[in-house]
Amino acid sequence: MIVSMSRVRVAGPAGQLERVLAFVQDLGVLHLVRPEIPRAEPLRHDGMTRHCRRLLDDVEAAITLLGIAPTAPPKHLPEPSAVASARFARRLRRKAAKLAKQRAALEDQKVMLLRYREFFSAFESLIGHELAWPDGKAFYVVLRAGAAAAVTELRAAIAKAVGEEVELLDRPLSSGEIAVLILVSNAAAPKVAKLLADSRVQELPAPAGLGETNLLRAMPALKARLAELPKELAAIDAERKALADTNAAELNRLRWWLHDKLLVLEARARVHTGQHLFVLEGWLPETQKERFVEQLARAFGPEIVVEFLGLERWKATNAPVTLTNPPLFKPFEIVTRMLPLPRYGSIDPTPFLAIFFPAFFGLMLADLGYGVVLGGVAVLLRVKSKPGTTLRSVSFIAGACALFSALFGVLFGELFGTLGHAVGMHPLWFNREEAIVPFLALSVSLGVVHVSLGLVLAAITAWRRGHTREAVGRSVATLMVLLTVVALLAAFKLLPGALLTPTVIALLVAFPILIALEGIVALIELLSSFGHILSYARIMALGTASLMLAVVANKMVGAMGSVVVGVVFALLFHLVNFAIGIFSPTIHALRLHSVEFLGKFFSPGGAEYRPLSHWQPQHER
Amino acid sequence: METALLAIGAGLAVGIPALATAWAQGRIGPAAAASLAEKPELSTTAIILIAIPETMVILGFVVAVMILLRSGGAGG
Repeated sequence: MIVSMSRVRVAGPAGQLERVLAFVQDLGVLHLVRPEIPRAEPLRHDGMTRHCRRLLDDVEAAITLLGIAPTAPPKHLPEPSAVASARFARRLRRKAAKLAKQRAALEDQKVMLLRYREFFSAFESLIGHELAWPDGKAFYVVLRAGAAAAVTELRAAIAKAVGEEVELLDRPLSSGEIAVLILVSNAAAPKVAKLLADSRVQELPAPAGLGETNLLRAMPALKARLAELPKELAAIDAERKALADTNAAELNRLRWWLHDKLLVLEARARVHTGQHLFVLEGWLPETQKERFVEQLARAFGPEIVVEFLGLERWKATNAPVTLTNPPLFKPFEIVTRMLPLPRYGSIDPTPFLAIFFPAFFGLMLADLGYGVVLGGVAVLLRVKSKPGTTLRSVSFIAGACALFSALFGVLFGELFGTLGHAVGMHPLWFNREEAIVPFLALSVSLGVVHVSLGLVLAAITAWRRGHTREAVGRSVATLMVLLTVVALLAAFKLLPGALLTPTVIALLVAFPILIALEGIVALIELLSSFGHILSYARIMALGTASLMLAVVANKMVGAMGSVVVGVVFALLFHLVNFAIGIFSPTIHALRLHSVEFLGKFFSPGGAEYRPLSHWQPQHER
Repeated sequence: METALLAIGAGLAVGIPALATAWAQGRIGPAAAASLAEKPELSTTAIILIAIPETMVILGFVVAVMILLRSGGAGG
C-alpha cells in the first residue's frame, strides 16, 4: 500500500539553516519541495555546486583508474579544505590517467608485436632465402580468414604485372588469417606496391621504433622488446597499486563527503531564505511525524518552528509516493515497479498482484511435476541471491507460482501431464483433459471476480479523491456487470429462471443512471469490461495447451520404436513444455493484470519519495 | 460430411485469428524493439503490447474447442 504522507513546514533563523539541513539529512525522512511562498527566492549556490561536481569528477575518475574498491560510509566526515582537496584529486587523477595511458600503450604494443611475431614465425625458415635477395624488396600482407581464393588471385595478378620476378608464399595463422610474403626485385617493386594499393590489400609494416624497415631482419629486436614488456607492465601495476593503497581511504572519504554535500546543495535550492528567516517544506511519512518534531525540538529548542499543513489525506495528489507491504507481499513490488509509480491517493496494486498473479500462473501450469521443478529453481535462486535483491524477490515469486502450480496439479490430478494416472493419481476437482467447458467456466468466472474487483477499486479511488459522481458511476458499472452475469446464468438455466426478470429490470434501471452519471463513454467502458472478462478464457486456453503438450511428450515413449530414444525425446519435449509453461503464463498473467485489471483503477504518475539523506550508491540517477 | 465441415470450421477458427495475430505481432515486435533501443525501461510494456494480439488466437482456440465439442470431437 501507499504510505500516507504529511506535509510539514519548518521555519527558523537564517543562521541556523546549515545546521538544520545537516540534521534533516541525518534523520533521512524529509522529502523537500519548494515552499509555496510568494516573493521569496531560493538560495542558489551554483559556484559551489560546480566546484563540488568538478572535484567529484576528479575523485570518481581517480577511484576508477586506480581500481579502488568502494567502502562503507565513514562514521565521521570532517569538511575538507576546498583548495587542498581539489589539488589532491586533480593530482591523483592526472597521475592515474598517465599510468593508465602508459599501460594501455604497452598492452597495444604487446598485441601488435605478438602479431608480428606470429607472422615472422610462419616464414622463419625462409629468412636466409629472403636475405639472398640483397637488391630485392619484401611485401608483408595479412589476408582475412577464409580468403584462400584471394591468394590465387593475388598471385595471378602480380605475375601478370611483373612476370617471373616475383615469389609469393602464404602460410595460415592461428587466427585463421593468411600471412602472405611477396618477394620481388627492386625494379618490379613499384608495380607490386601499386597493385597492392589498387586492390586495397593492406601491407603489414615493420613495427615502429625497432630501427629496421625489413620485417624479418627486425625480428631479433622485436623478440627482445617482447621480453621487456611484461617487466614494464608489472612496474606500472606496482606503481598504480602503491598509489591506490596510499590514497584509497582519503579518496573514498572525499567521495562520500562530496556526494553528501551535493545532496545538501540540491536541497538548499528548494529552501526559501530571507534576511533573517529560512523556510523549508516537505513531505514525510505520517508515522515519522512525532519523531521528527521531537528530535528537531530536542536539537534546536524553540527557535525552530515546525508546522503541519492541513491537507486532506488522500487528496494531496502531489505528495511523493513510497510503497510498504507485509513481508509476504513485498517481493511482488518488483512487478509493480515494472509499471510507473501509482499516484498518491490511488491504490497500490501489489497486494492484489501477490494474490492473483501466482494463482493465475498456477491455474495455467497446474502440474505437480512442473510445480516441483519450478520450486527447485526457486530454491536455487534463493540460495544464490542476497537478501533485498531483485533476484531474491524473483525467487520468492517463483516459489509462490510453484506452490500454486503444484496445488492445482494435485486438484486436476496432473503429474507431467497424464503420467500421474499411471501412479494412481486422480483428479480431486476435475480432469482438464476432458472437462474443457468447466475449465472455461472457471476461467471466465475468475475474470468476473477480477474485473469486478478492479471496478470496485476504481470506485474507492474516485471516492477517496473526492470524485463522488465518478465513484457512484463505477459502483453502478460494477453492479451492472454482476447483474448481467446473473441474468446470463439464469437464461442458461444455471441459476433459477425466476431471477432473470428481476435482474433484467434492474439492468434497465441501472443503465440510464450510468449514462447520466458518466456519459456515453460509460457504455463503451461497460462493453469493454465484458470483453476483458472474456479475455480470461486465455487461462483455459493456455492451461489446456500446456496439458496437451505434456500428453504428446508422454506418448513419445511408445511411438519411437526404441524405449530409450522415446524417453529421451519425451524428456526433451517436457523440457520445452516446461520452458513454454514458465514463459507464457508469466506473460499472460502479467497482461491480465496490466490490461484487464489495473486498467480499471490504476493511476500512474506518482513522484518517487526521495528524502534528503546521506548518499548511498542508489541515489545516483 | 457434417463432421468434416465442423472440423474445417474449427481449423479455420484457430487458423485465421492465428494469421491475424502473427500479422499484428509482426508489426508490434519491430516497433517495440525500436522503442526498447531508446528506452529499455519500457520492456514490460513492450512484452505486454506484444501479448495483446494473442487474445485473437486464444478466443479462436476457445471457439474451435466449442465447435469440436458440438461435433463430439473432444471430450466434455
